[in-house]
Amino acid sequence: MKPLARWLAAALVLSALAFALSSYHNDVYRKLLLWVTLALGYNFLFGVAGQVAFSHFAFYGIGAYSIVILTFQAGLPLPLAIVAGVALCVAVALAVAIPSTRLEGFYLALATLALAQLFIVVLNEGGAVTGGAGGLADYRLPAILGVRVTGPWYTVVIVLLMLGTMALLARLDRSWFGRACRAVRDSPEAAAAMGVNVARTKVIAFTLTSALAAVAGMAYAFVDNTVNPPIFGLENAFLLLFMVIIGGAGRQAGAIAGAVALYLLPFVLSPLIGHHHALVFGVLMVAAILLQPRGLIGLYDALRRRAA
Amino acid sequence: MRDLLELAVSASATGCVYALLALAYLVMIRPTGIINFAVGEWAMVGAFGAFLAVTKVELPYPVGVAAVLACMFVVGWATERIAVRPLVRAGAPLLAPILALLGMLVVFRESVALAFGPDPYPVPYPLGFGRLELGPLAGSYQSFFIIGTTLATFALAWLFFERTLAGKCFAAVAIDRRAAALVGIDRTRVAALSFAAGAVIAALAGLLVGPNVSAHYLMGVPLAIQGFTALVIGGVGRVEGALLGGLLLAFAEQLTARYAPLPPGYAQGVPLALLMLFLLVRPTGLLAERGARA
Repeated sequence: MKPLARWLAAALVLSALAFALSSYHNDVYRKLLLWVTLALGYNFLFGVAGQVAFSHFAFYGIGAYSIVILTFQAGLPLPLAIVAGVALCVAVALAVAIPSTRLEGFYLALATLALAQLFIVVLNEGGAVTGGAGGLADYRLPAILGVRVTGPWYTVVIVLLMLGTMALLARLDRSWFGRACRAVRDSPEAAAAMGVNVARTKVIAFTLTSALAAVAGMAYAFVDNTVNPPIFGLENAFLLLFMVIIGGAGRQAGAIAGAVALYLLPFVLSPLIGHHHALVFGVLMVAAILLQPRGLIGLYDALRRRAA
Repeated sequence: MRDLLELAVSASATGCVYALLALAYLVMIRPTGIINFAVGEWAMVGAFGAFLAVTKVELPYPVGVAAVLACMFVVGWATERIAVRPLVRAGAPLLAPILALLGMLVVFRESVALAFGPDPYPVPYPLGFGRLELGPLAGSYQSFFIIGTTLATFALAWLFFERTLAGKCFAAVAIDRRAAALVGIDRTRVAALSFAAGAVIAALAGLLVGPNVSAHYLMGVPLAIQGFTALVIGGVGRVEGALLGGLLLAFAEQLTARYAPLPPGYAQGVPLALLMLFLLVRPTGLLAERGARA
């Protein structure tokens, strides 16, 4: 019962925070929670399963766009639109992962980089369906069973999504599948010799985390109530990778620390250097790999060991 | 038919740029095993270098280009010293330097963005702007200049790898790193030189494509993707593969854009489609490595 109590306490505290914040800070808080959700999923894909993919953020975008298009253009009810959107993402993820994982190395990185670029092209060229360069706007979260979730209550939905993702991935990490993923990351040959189906493990990890990103994207679609191509560009795909590496890949605490640090850093830096915080991220990334490959969380461990 | 031949000249020129980028990847991958996605940013830096040296400082074109390429040699060397060598020396997995180079990619791009802002800058034409007709083949001066320069670069690269002792050292390190070290080849020097050469070749690609697209700080990533796709198509085993892959990719792209009934933006999907096709059907690329690895 104890872990369950801890999850409940976390949900209560994080939700209560939403009611204490102003509506501007609620907006910042929601986006922070979504970044943490994305970083947790990417941590599993990159940190645990060892796959360098640049498509995670594109799947976030596919989720956001598909929910808007399916609900407001195709007229599907929300639950059905969610299921159809996830199914679409699973299909795209399988189409990319199956050919890429036939080979080791960086073919996945390249294929997903090309996919992320192609996604932006489709958004810009999609005409009335995707709204072109301006994207889609002027829609609102439909009422579910007569209830319209708004304001801090919508933040609560995102808190639950984030904690749900975290719980699912933490459980998965400790399961047979999580160990198989780590084995495949560290040595595909050894994993295969132990009876792990390497290709299938890779494809499942990629598809599952991509679907989780899509669900987070669906939640995002109703945060700003607008989706447009620049939001889902490659910049953010890199940022996600940097968050996980700077925070500490392979550990949930690292992903959370990295996401919080890099999301909040521009707020601190913008009075000093304007919009050029990406330069700082790049330098931090190189420094992290060279000096502290375990990231912020490794730094924390080292400090605590010294204190003890 | 005239239309098709004109298309062939411009597609060959574009393909040559992809081929140079693929060659830049190749000279680094062969001896070190490291895929350096920053080649696109190096091409971008090369294009900005040409703007600075030739348009701003008004050096004559050959002198300006030589100065830019010399600077890029140092940039490539320094990149290897900073982001690769410490990790290789510490015995980190191959992924670590590749990720560090992704960080360097952002550092390069954002430094240029900081220095030049988001506006595009004109890159000079070496031969001026004009049109050349060689029998049935017609195209801009720049297209023919790109094709000529690329063929010369590939000829030099081929001679280097096939005919010189230093080139044989590269090949030896590519085949078996430990054995190469045992026969007295300095692996760290080969690695540093391969990065320096990669930076020079990538910058050359940027110099050549620059006049057609203008220097812009975001031009790097598409070039990095197209260059790597060309490499996958041609295969990493042989220098000629890069050239073949680049040409094939450019022809596929331009023929699709010209003749397929698709909105123009979708031609950008051609690299992805080709890449998927090759990964499924012929993962070693078109030209397989000669039997050295057995």
